[in-house]
Parts: sequence; structure tokens; C-alpha cells
Amino acid sequence: MAKKSVVSKVKKSSVKATKTTTKASTKAKTGTKKTVDGTTAKFKISGDVQLLLKQHVGKPCVPCVKKGDKVSIGTLIAKPQGLGANIHSSVKGVVSKITDTAIFIKTDKVLSTIGPNDAIPVSAKKDDLLGRVTEAGVVGMGGAGFPTAVKLSTKLNDGYILVNAAECEPILAHNMAQLVRFPKETVKGIQYAMKIANAKQGIIAIKQKHSHEIESVLKALKGIDNIRVHLLPDIYPMGEERAIIRETLGILLPVTALPSDANAHVINVETVLRLYEAIEYGRPIVSKKITVSGKIKGSDNGVIVFSDVPIGIKVRDLIAAAGGIDGDYGEIIMGGPFMGRPCKLDDPITKTTGGIIVTEPFKDYKGAKVGLLVCACGANEDRLKDIAKKYNMNVVDVEYCKQAQDPKGNGVYKCENPGNCPGQALKCMNIKKAGATEILISNCSDCTNTVMGSAPGLGLNVHHSTDHIFETVGMPVQRHLTKSKFVEGPIPEGCTASRNPESNEPGGIKQRAHAEGGSKGADYSKPYQFRENTPDGELLISIESGSDISIKYED
Amino acid sequence: MSISAEYAQEHINDPAVLCCRREAGTTLSHHDFEDPAIFDDLVSSGLLKLDGALTIGQAMGSTLTKTLDSLNAITKDCVDKVQEAKASAAATPAAPTASASVGNTTTVSGGKLKIHIGEGKGIDLEIPMGIAAGAGAAAPSGAAAGAVAGGAASSAAGGEKVVRTLTRKHFNITEVKRGDKTKIDGTTLYIRKGIEKEAVDTQELVHDLKLDIITKDNYHVYSETIMDTQPIATKEGDAELGTGVTRVLDNVVMMLTGTTDEGVQIGEFGSSEGYLDENVMWNRPSCPDHGDIIIRGTVKIENKKNMERPGPLAAHKAFDVITQEIRLALKELDEKYCVSTEEFKQVRRPGKKKVALVKEIMGQGAMHDNLILPVEPVGILGAHPNVDLCNVPVVCSPLEVLDGCIHALTCIGPASKEQSRHYWREPMVLEMLFDEEIDFAGVIFVGSPQINSEKFYVSRRVGMTCEAMDCDGAIVTTEGFGNNHVDFVSHIEQIGMRGIKVVGMSFCAKQGALVVGNKYVTAMVDNNKSEAGIENEILGNNTLCPEDAVRAILMLKAEMTGEAIKKPEKEWNPNVKSQNIELISSVTGKPVELVKNEKSLPMSEKYKKKYANA
Repeated sequence: MAKKSVVSKVKKSSVKATKTTTKASTKAKTGTKKTVDGTTAKFKISGDVQLLLKQHVGKPCVPCVKKGDKVSIGTLIAKPQGLGANIHSSVKGVVSKITDTAIFIKTDKVLSTIGPNDAIPVSAKKDDLLGRVTEAGVVGMGGAGFPTAVKLSTKLNDGYILVNAAECEPILAHNMAQLVRFPKETVKGIQYAMKIANAKQGIIAIKQKHSHEIESVLKALKGIDNIRVHLLPDIYPMGEERAIIRETLGILLPVTALPSDANAHVINVETVLRLYEAIEYGRPIVSKKITVSGKIKGSDNGVIVFSDVPIGIKVRDLIAAAGGIDGDYGEIIMGGPFMGRPCKLDDPITKTTGGIIVTEPFKDYKGAKVGLLVCACGANEDRLKDIAKKYNMNVVDVEYCKQAQDPKGNGVYKCENPGNCPGQALKCMNIKKAGATEILISNCSDCTNTVMGSAPGLGLNVHHSTDHIFETVGMPVQRHLTKSKFVEGPIPEGCTASRNPESNEPGGIKQRAHAEGGSKGADYSKPYQFRENTPDGELLISIESGSDISIKYED
Repeated sequence: MSISAEYAQEHINDPAVLCCRREAGTTLSHHDFEDPAIFDDLVSSGLLKLDGALTIGQAMGSTLTKTLDSLNAITKDCVDKVQEAKASAAATPAAPTASASVGNTTTVSGGKLKIHIGEGKGIDLEIPMGIAAGAGAAAPSGAAAGAVAGGAASSAAGGEKVVRTLTRKHFNITEVKRGDKTKIDGTTLYIRKGIEKEAVDTQELVHDLKLDIITKDNYHVYSETIMDTQPIATKEGDAELGTGVTRVLDNVVMMLTGTTDEGVQIGEFGSSEGYLDENVMWNRPSCPDHGDIIIRGTVKIENKKNMERPGPLAAHKAFDVITQEIRLALKELDEKYCVSTEEFKQVRRPGKKKVALVKEIMGQGAMHDNLILPVEPVGILGAHPNVDLCNVPVVCSPLEVLDGCIHALTCIGPASKEQSRHYWREPMVLEMLFDEEIDFAGVIFVGSPQINSEKFYVSRRVGMTCEAMDCDGAIVTTEGFGNNHVDFVSHIEQIGMRGIKVVGMSFCAKQGALVVGNKYVTAMVDNNKSEAGIENEILGNNTLCPEDAVRAILMLKAEMTGEAIKKPEKEWNPNVKSQNIELISSVTGKPVELVKNEKSLPMSEKYKKKYANA
């Protein structure tokens, strides 16, 4: 395999836009993320590789190696207990330390990008599809980390595999790079997933703006009639599980439901490629596709896409391979601008790491009073408090978006209708009443737009949790929404799209249900449902639209 | 924020405003509308303009023709069509128009409700569970549609029943003098010289009592804070309060005033000391009428005892020694001096809507107390302080109220306090007593305790009492404002949650705005009369008057017939009252005359300083 130390650095072109309505000209740079992949890089390692025992939803794995054991790329080193996924060594070396949370492996000073055949294959036979996926330790690589074999073992009834290729987090580019570089492998992976889960249809959901990537995928889909492409509008969030289902199938699930309630599985686009590799080559999960961006030397704030970063190396070593940090910085984000969390230079890369972004230092707001508006689609309350602290702001009020629901009561919020704002004026007024001069929000595109409709008028300075990140890379900050929430204009033949439901443009998805409430396990794939009980002893039935409706009341 | 389908129906006549950006082509539904409850704030912040806004009813179901951002009002220019406004029951609060009964739109057959809709959009079905589940319930049509207004209610069962009668005999007094003996000579009342000392001697805490007789010509006289104004009345024979015959002296009242030895007013939040003509709102039910001869007692009680229960009570007891001697004289007065006779009948009207009056009275001790059910009208003997009764509800007949069953020790906020004379001629009781459209069940007195847990203890008893009385409606009154509003709204909640319609009455306006609330506090009558909406320390100024009583009873009737009461405005607006009064006058054909307020009095120095610029 190629061992050239080449990193593809995508320089961004900057576009000067002049506002015609004002005298001032604003310099709005837009990040052009080319769909280049296949980077091979060398990683200088500072200290041992650290493989976390919990890189997935479920319980931490139990080590099945001991200190001093020799391991190779692909050696099984930890097994799940209960819900989880196998963990394999991503390097050749010796187990140097085992703690409650990680296995440390001493290895060479320099590591190369791991190719498809560089790992010891898993033992399951190639025709045992689910066995190979299980053994390979595949998890949801979009960030959720749900064990893929567990997900796909829930059989669908001729249902849908929905492939999340929204790459909804701005800046991140490795998913799109993959679609250009590995379209056939990706499609193959989808077919495997459909076969495992007994799905009749695959749908790849991509934003309409990625025309180059769409073209690449459509080429790979030639002759395949049970997989289609669905075009998404360019707003945040579209990649949320229930948003994908709503956009592609026209079913809005309640926050308590699982995708299988809509006869579908949602699977990240990198995950299907890894699934393909696991089945085709028996390759376990030992590497990850990652976008590095921000204050990186020589990058001109562009994005650097790594196709196969060995899992377990330090964030510091990945940044060094990208060029190193350029001067002072504010924080390092692991993940995307919206959902990412700050991390430390010595933190290890995991199966779910998607982005590493180095930001500018934070501005000092000198103790200004701030109200937080927490949204389920972005930074949570703790993260917003963290950002407020870094800005030197004093939190005087915390409000939650009306749609942010915590169905399990464990602090994990889900949005009732992602990307469709329920109104924020009252929240802004509450924050104003609490004495704030600043408002720090983590909302989606639509809700942020609504906040802009009232907060500035109330005298609140608006800050978004992503501001410092977008400012670092020269992108315009999240404020007013100027794009449509629907896909407009012509679309490639055979594709569907998130059309305005009132429009008659081709490719639109019929809204099949607007399900509110409901219980877990309900079948939301049926085209209607809805009933509510009101506390005042009245039965209220609200039907948005429908036909041939029969309602019976019986004792 | 966006609203529910149910909420949108409630606000069908409120302006339609987008909660969020909506793109052209969107068919508007409740998901798209901002909550009208926050419009006032938005308008006053300059964030929202409602000019030309369609109502939610007009906009719902229409399609947007252009993309609009949040907080834009929907006007006819930006939708494809304006929906026909649905006729709704959002009548003005007090209009007693007999609302056309909705009619049966549902078919009840053998306990099953079946609805079939072939095809439709935006369909809302609300099914009262009473109909849906009312298997075997009697009177399927009457129960649902029982109309009250118009007086045409079904009076099939029983007819009217007179429970008891009270007769008031009036005796005129033209002069009050001091003499050797307390007696009434024709129309002259003589009060025994030296009686003051005997009165003082009965009470350890009372150190001095001065008596003077103030006539109309010398109303411009300084007075310490007024602790009570009382009628002079007595029972004939052995009759109990609220029945039989009561004799009362006209044109003369007892007025108790006082301080401690060192001159501290026996008041709490504000006091009414000053020149009488500048500090008394004459002719309030609570107050002396202009022209009345005032027999004023000025007591001095032991220092520091003004804020403890025994202090004010001792003052009242000492003063009642004098009143009692006059009562005895009144009993002796020859019948021939009786100038007029009034007869009050307590009538029950089975079949009419059953209504109770709940009067919250002060019960925190000291001057915040009330002696309930004395032997003599507004006497002391035989009465129990409601503090000692733990403030629990006590049910009285309307005639007991009019016969002086409350001897009031009140002093908080003199403008809104109800003195003993108030109950003697309580406008709400009179209004309900003579209203033939309702079945007036009784008056429930409930004290307002100091501690919150006790407040809720007593309010739950109020709820239970109304429930046990099987009331259809209730009016809850209170005096004062602030602390007592906690239990006041709790009474309303406890009554309302039992499905009983309820109207609240209190001084609120600007200064006394409710500090708490709940979803049952939807129908309120403000007793304010002051120009600036404040506690202006003018005795009796903001107490319940006939103009308030008539509004309350009509509001309750509107509620009981299922008419909607309009939401209050965000800020106190005196026009709400004047509009309702106008409406009532025009509908009933009987003009409602409004009482005067502090503007009719000469302005005191204190008032100039404190309130003239308020």
C-alpha cells in the first residue's frame, strides 16, 4: 500500500460580497469543501495509543488481553458485556497498561494510515453477514455509537434503510469526500444492510447543494432500482434521526419512538462503508474518517480530511499530522460545531470522532449578564454554561426551547420536530426580564431565525454556541435564515426531495402522518393517528387532515 | 410559541401572528400562531404591530402567499383568502343576553357516540364527557342547556319558598346630647355623662375613652384612625339575629377611633387619621352617610398593644359598653316613633341556579379580626372571633348578615376595609337577595389566616362547603389586598375546580393587582373607585358598592350560561369597568349610578403629599 505522507489540504476560496443596501462591505468567506478523499498520512505518536473501553452506546467492554500481550492491527482486545461492540487494536505493539476505562498499547513512533486489508480479518465467514458486522465491532459512526449489528438485527417488514449522508454539521467534510471516493463501496454497504435487516428500499439522504457527490452516487446506483437518493434542504438539522425519517418517509415520530416504529433503520453513511469493509474484507473497526479544521498551520482555515485515522491516537498527534495548531487558541472541539464537545489534546480518537476543530481564543465579555436558550438540536445546558464561562459571561437565566423534550428523564433532550421552530419570543422576553443583555443560544437554523425576530428588538445581543467556531474558519455566523426549508428547483431524475408540501414540484414526499404523543412500539408507518385527552374531562380529537375518518365512542 | 388546537379555538378572535418564519404556500394551522397571551408585552416592546391583523379564526386554513418571518401579523394581503369569522360566544362579560342554545350536534344513542367523517381538513371534535359517558343520566336536554338568563328557567320543581323574614324598624334621631341618663326622647338621644369612665374600667388595656358628638356642621374635625363605624340597632324581644324584628336608629352612627397612650395609631398598612371631612368617603356602605350624627369614641390603649389581639379587642369592648346602653334605651322607645319599616325575606328558589356568596374576612388577629354572630346587631356579647374559630368557613343566612352578624375589627388599608356597617347594608347580599333569577343559598364567611398552610386549609373547606351546598355558582369577595389575595385566589380555585362557576371581587386596580393566580381566576370584578387605582387611605373608598355588585352577579350569570368572559387587559384600565357599566345600563334599561370617589372631598395635606401626584 502507498506510504506517501500526503495530506490533502483543501484551501477555501474567499468570496467578497458587497451589500448593496449599506455602504459597508462585508467580507463573507464561504468554505468550499472539495470532495477529495483517500488521504494517506503519517502520525507521529506521543506516548501510547489509548483505546477506550466505551466507544459506543451501552456498557464498557471487558478487556480480553493482559499487560504484556502482543497485539496486531485487528487483534480483538475487549468484548462487550451486554449492549456494546467489540474493540480491536488499531496498532501493532504491546499492551502496556489496562485501566478501568482504557487499554494502552505501546507501538511504533510513527503510524501510517490503515488500509482496507491492513488488519487481521474477523473469523466469521463472509456469507455470515450479521456475524461479520458483529465481530467487527461496527457502531454508528455519525456520533451516536449505537452497535450496528444490534440495530440491524431488528428485522424490518420490507422496510427502509435510510442512509444519513446529510453531513449536517457545517465544516465537516469527510462524509462527502467518501461519496466521491467510495460511491460503489458505499452502495454495496447499503445493500448488505438491507439484506441483513430485510428492507425493501434504501434511501440515501443528501443535501441538494452537494451536486458533485450526488452525481457520484447516482452513477454508482445505475441499474439498482431499490435504492434512491433523497435531496435535503441546506438547513440545520437534517441529519437527526427523526428528521431523516420525516424528510424521507413523511412520518414525524414522537420523541419516545424508535425508527423501527416507522419500519426503518437510520444508518450513517460512513457506517455503511465500514459495514461493507467488515463484510467484504473482514476488517474490524480500527480507523475513523475525520475532518480537521480551524487554526491549523498552513491550512488557511480550510478543512483537512483524513480517511483512516488509527483509533486511539491522541488528538494532539492528529492535529500535528494536519499541520499543528497555529498560535493561541480558544478550545479544541471534538465533533461538529453544533453537537461537538471541547476536548483535551491528550484525549484519544474514538470510533465516533468525526471532527477536530481548533478555535480562536474567546472574546472577553467582562461579566455581561447572559440568558441561555437551550435547544435539543445543539449544545446542551452544560455546554452553553461552559461557553458562557469562556466568554466571561454571567448566566442569569436558562430557558429551554418548547420542543426540547427529555423523554427518558436522563438529561438527553430530543426535539419534537427538528428544524421546525415552535416560536421563541416568550423565551427571549423571559431572558430580557431576568436582566440579561446577552442571549446565548444553541438553536437550529429555523429557531435561531426566530430568536433574531425578537431578541435584538428587545435589546439582547445574540450569540450562538457555534459563533467562535464559524468565526475561526471565516464562515458567516448563524443568525437569520435566508434559505428555504424546502428543496427548490429541478432535481435529478429518479430522486425524491424535501419539497414544500403545498407545492406540486416533482419528487415531493407525501406527509403521511403528523404523529403527536403516542406510545413506544406503536406502528407509525400507518398513515394516520392522533388522539389527545385533555385534563378537563373532555375528549378532544384533532385531525389535521384525512379522509374516511370514523370515530366511535363506546363504554 | 406555537399553540395547541384547543388553545387556538379559545383564541379564535385574537389576532393571528406567526410564531416563526413561514414560507409562501404554507397552509396556516395552530402550529404557526404565536400565543396571544404575550402580545401585550410584544407590542409594548415594539416587536409586534397588530394593525390590520386577521383573527386566528380568519387565518386558520388559509394559505400564505408570501414568506413571512416570526412575529408578523397575518393581514389579508398575505393570505389567499380570509376565512369566514365563526360566530363565537365571546360576548362582553356582563351582557345578560339569553344566548341561543347551541343545539344538539351530537347524537347520543345507547351510550355510544359515533362520528363518521368522509373527508375533511382541520377537524376538531370536542365531546363533553357528560354527554359521552352520561349513560342513564336524567334530563338529557335540560341538563346541558339549562338557561338562566331571561328568567325563563325551568321552575318545575317546588317553586319559591320563604325561609325566614327579618323586619327592620327605623327610628329617627335628629339630635344627640349628653344627659344624666341614657335615653331616647322622641328624636333626641341622650347619653349618660360619665359613662366613659365606666366603659374604660371594664377593660384593663383601655386607659382612656373620650366621647364626642360630631354633627354635619363640624365634620372638619381631627380624628385618630377610624377603627370601626357601626349602626345602633337592637333586637326586639328574644328574636335571634337574622329573624324577627330589629330596631335601628337612623341618622346616627357609632365611630370608634384610637391610638396607644403614646399616640401610635391602631392601624397597620395605612391609617385614616386626619380631618374627618377629608378622610371619610361618605355614604359608602361601610361609612357614615353625609349628614349622620357621629358618636365618636377616642380610646387610648396600652402602649405596644396596638398590634396584639387583646389591644384592639379591648377598645371595641369598652366602646360597646356605651352602644349597649343606647341599645337598651332603643328597646324602650315607643313604637309610635318608628318612621319606617323594611321587610327582608330570605327566599329559596329551587330549580334556579344555586349561588353562594363567599366573603373572605380578615383573620390574622389584632385589628384583623371579626366577631361572628353576637346576640345584638354588631354587638360583642355572644360573638366568637373568627381567629378563635381558626378562620374556617361559617355559613350565615343573608338575613343574619344584614342584621349585623359581623362585628368587624379592621384596619388594614382603610380604603378597602369593610367596617361593621358594611355588612349591615352589604350591596352584594342585597343584590342577590332580591334577584329572582337565582337561588341564593347563603353567605359563607371565611377568615384569612396569617400562615399560608392555614390559608389553604380554610380554602379547601370553602370548596367542600360549596360542593356540599351543590352550588352552580359562587361570588368570592375579599377586603384589603396583597397577603389575603393568596387565600382569595385559592378559594376561587377550590370552588372552580369543582365545576362551580365563580366570580371574584376585590380591590385590585394598580396597587392591589393580584400577586398570585390560577386558571380559575378568569372572572374578576375590581372594587376600586380611586382615581389612580391605589389604596388612598380614604376610609371605605374602595369597598364593594352596588355598582360592583350588579357587575358581579351579571358576570356570574354570564358564566353560568356558558358565555365567555373576556380576558383582562395587561395593565389596569378603568375603561373596562365603565364599558361594562354602560353595557349593563343599556341592556337592563336601568342606569347604574356610580358612587363618588376621593375627588369629591376636600384634599388633605397628607393626601396632597402622598398621592396627589400618584
